[in-house]
Amino acid sequence: MDSRLRILKDFLWFFAFLALVAGIFRLWFGLGPTTNLSDQMPWGLWKIMNMIAGVALSTSGFTIGFLVYVLKLKQFKPLVKPAVLIAFLGYGSSCLALLFDIGLPHRFWHPIVMWNEHSFLFEVFWCVMLYFTVTAIELSPTILKRIGAEKFSHWLHRIAFGVVIIGITLSSLHHSSLGSLFLVTPLRLHTLWYSSLLPLFFIISAIGAGMMFLIFVRISYARFYDPEPIFGLRLNSGIKRNGSDVFVGPQFKSLQILAILAASVLGLYFLLKIGDLINRDAIGLLFNGSWESWLFIFELFIAAVLPIILVAVPNTRRSPSGLSAAAFLASLGLVLNRVDVGIFGYFQDAAEPYFPSLAEWGLSIGVVAAAILAFLFISEKVPIFDESWKGRLRKTDSFTYSFDKFSHVWNTILMSGLQRVTLIAVIAFPLAWILFYPPYKSTNQSEEIIRPSIGLDQTRTVLLINGDRRGVKTEFPHLDHQKRLGGEQSCNKCHHIYMPHDHATPCYRCHTNMLQEADIFDHFKHMELVAEKENIRAIQPANHSCNYCHDPGGPKSINNVKACTECHSKDMNIEKGSYCGLQLATASSYLEAMHQTCQECHRQEEVRLCKENLGHCSTCHESLTPNVGDTIWVKKNKPIGDKISATR
Amino acid sequence: MHGILVDVTRCTGCERCVEACIKVNKLDYDQAGIDRVRAPDGLSANRLATIVKLEDGHFARKSCMHCLEPSCVSACLVGGITKTGQGPVVYDPDKCIGCRYCMLACPFHIPRYEWDSTHPYMVKCMMCFDRIKDGLLPACVEACPNQAMSFGSRDKLLKEAHARIAKYPRRYKRHVWGEEEFGGTSVMYISDVDLEELGWPHSAAPAIPELTEPLISKTPFIGLTVAAGILGINWIIGRRMKLAAEKEILGEDSKSEKLKGQQDGQQTKDS
Repeated sequence: MDSRLRILKDFLWFFAFLALVAGIFRLWFGLGPTTNLSDQMPWGLWKIMNMIAGVALSTSGFTIGFLVYVLKLKQFKPLVKPAVLIAFLGYGSSCLALLFDIGLPHRFWHPIVMWNEHSFLFEVFWCVMLYFTVTAIELSPTILKRIGAEKFSHWLHRIAFGVVIIGITLSSLHHSSLGSLFLVTPLRLHTLWYSSLLPLFFIISAIGAGMMFLIFVRISYARFYDPEPIFGLRLNSGIKRNGSDVFVGPQFKSLQILAILAASVLGLYFLLKIGDLINRDAIGLLFNGSWESWLFIFELFIAAVLPIILVAVPNTRRSPSGLSAAAFLASLGLVLNRVDVGIFGYFQDAAEPYFPSLAEWGLSIGVVAAAILAFLFISEKVPIFDESWKGRLRKTDSFTYSFDKFSHVWNTILMSGLQRVTLIAVIAFPLAWILFYPPYKSTNQSEEIIRPSIGLDQTRTVLLINGDRRGVKTEFPHLDHQKRLGGEQSCNKCHHIYMPHDHATPCYRCHTNMLQEADIFDHFKHMELVAEKENIRAIQPANHSCNYCHDPGGPKSINNVKACTECHSKDMNIEKGSYCGLQLATASSYLEAMHQTCQECHRQEEVRLCKENLGHCSTCHESLTPNVGDTIWVKKNKPIGDKISATR
Repeated sequence: MHGILVDVTRCTGCERCVEACIKVNKLDYDQAGIDRVRAPDGLSANRLATIVKLEDGHFARKSCMHCLEPSCVSACLVGGITKTGQGPVVYDPDKCIGCRYCMLACPFHIPRYEWDSTHPYMVKCMMCFDRIKDGLLPACVEACPNQAMSFGSRDKLLKEAHARIAKYPRRYKRHVWGEEEFGGTSVMYISDVDLEELGWPHSAAPAIPELTEPLISKTPFIGLTVAAGILGINWIIGRRMKLAAEKEILGEDSKSEKLKGQQDGQQTKDS
């Protein structure tokens, strides 16, 4: 076997193994941790690139069927089987990727039973499902013949024409419907791409680029396996190419004709695109210098302009490499077009840009790699491209080995395929594990811990409370409050607990969590301190201190314990006991603590001093200004005072 | 057909409606608080309604608008979303396959997805459909301390909206958002500021199903036409090839009579 092919297959296996791990992670952890999809960008790489672009690249199955069976152009007959195989594997891999993309993969069969005939997605589902079956039927005679079920394959041959007709009809429906899917987003998709002609664009570009993709596959296959029908005898005979004297194989002629056909379809596509832009008065957007306009130009350039030029120039058209480059560009352009319509076109609308996660890339590429592996496997075992290439291979045998240093080592050490694949798996699995493992969810605890408020100056005249760490600070005139409430002696009006050996303990010391209650009682420390204080002598003194707090004999629970205030009445200021009760084990959330302490007092003062709006949020949070016509509500929704007479 | 009328001038942004919504729908309160700052507009799988801050200190409640011709209903491929006769657009989680097409289709960006779950569903406001059936108000309407929202029959609410605008012409903009946009919605807004922040279009927009319906209703005919066309082309070409073959045979005969002894395959093929 060609050593280049071996290396290629090794890489394909590597990516396929990566995809396996990515797929398992996706099923195990769910979509959120493994992908970068969000509510803003609900459709990502798997749907757009694997499904929509992958299906579009597999159009050759029906275009070649149309050329050969309907138009009866017999010269394309050798391309039918490759085209059908591309379609089968293209659709298969797309559906496989889609299975991982939908949220509930085990319900993939639902649209078969539950119908909504108003939905384009419903139509796409049915057409794709039926067409996948059609490609399987079209492909099966070849495979059945290889297995030896001649009778069945003969029977299938008889219904072949009907199957082809159904396949063409289904294809023309769902390739346009894939474009219609985006018709529902007139305000969200960028104006350059949104057009009521989207279905037409999708089917025309798919027809053109699908043929191009077939050309690319055919030439690449010839490069790796059987160069004679495409490249002629050039690779084997050692005759050097000179000038226009190009040797080409017998099948290359039909590929050229196909390329001209595809290029003219792409030309039609190009004209339609430009015409549509002019018709919608959106041509100006093309030159306004935004990144979308550049992307649009680039996409159209590699999807249509460059391939057409490459096909039109005789020199490139007549060389397999040139034609292969044109075909590759057109296929790439098609994928880019689908990605533009499905992903980039929505960036202007989404609040945050979307870049696929490593796991998404891994699965996306790996599924395609697996499809290529399957393609190579089938084309090696079953006569897909040519009946007689194995015979030729045995006869000439001259292009089989071309060594470079790396492949030489790689191939001599591990000769058997199974060994190599095992080694690749051993490399790929841990790597995939490292790359794709979803990040540990950081707990709220570490994120939401409250730090002391930022003072404007050293004397703490004004504190800036930035509770949720979002940068929006609320001013708290600390000195002002202190003066108004009675100077140094008034601290305990707000600071309701002093920690031992402390004065005016700040709020954040106990209310450590922004949104949740926090456990502030250090049990182990208390055990040790009590044992030390009571002079308990034992190997583990802390273990003998239970009875000092818990009732002896009873369960050691929070309900069966003496009040904290019994010990801490002296070294802790617990005058305002109403806030915290006798047990000081838990502290309420910071949000609640701050609001309750301030609001209660403010609401009382509002009534006492007849100061309008003092109890309203806007007193502290400037952004929450009350509106005209607002009624101010205090506790229990009793309205006080009149409506605000604010002027605006 | 019921609906909700939101008076933006009365909303103070206290988020009591959001709180009530979370309570009634039994959502995760703490997660909702975190989502509020993480999600761009505050809507998430744990917050079905949110308060959006508008220009100069105005606030407005944002959640599902319950369109009269909902895009999500036409988009859902299993028919999991339906527009009920009472007004709410209701989602059936038992049908959902998780394709998220509704999220793409919604012009207001309302549907949210339970991304962190391994068994995720779409989540959106259902106008407290169960409560409405029992004759109760939707939770948000009930919770609002300033009566910024009113619930009732859509026609009456429209009348009320126009009456309010007529009564205070300098206070409100002369527009009821939701009367005609996207074919009309069940949740409507009157306001003294622009509401583009909430997803309302700049100018009148058609109902989104109107964009797709004419095309999809023709799909079977398009399919049949294509199939008939293919068969027709095939028949014509087959017939012409047959005629050509017959002619060829005839021509070959006549030519072979004319040019005896001369055998040129190329020439006969060209004819």
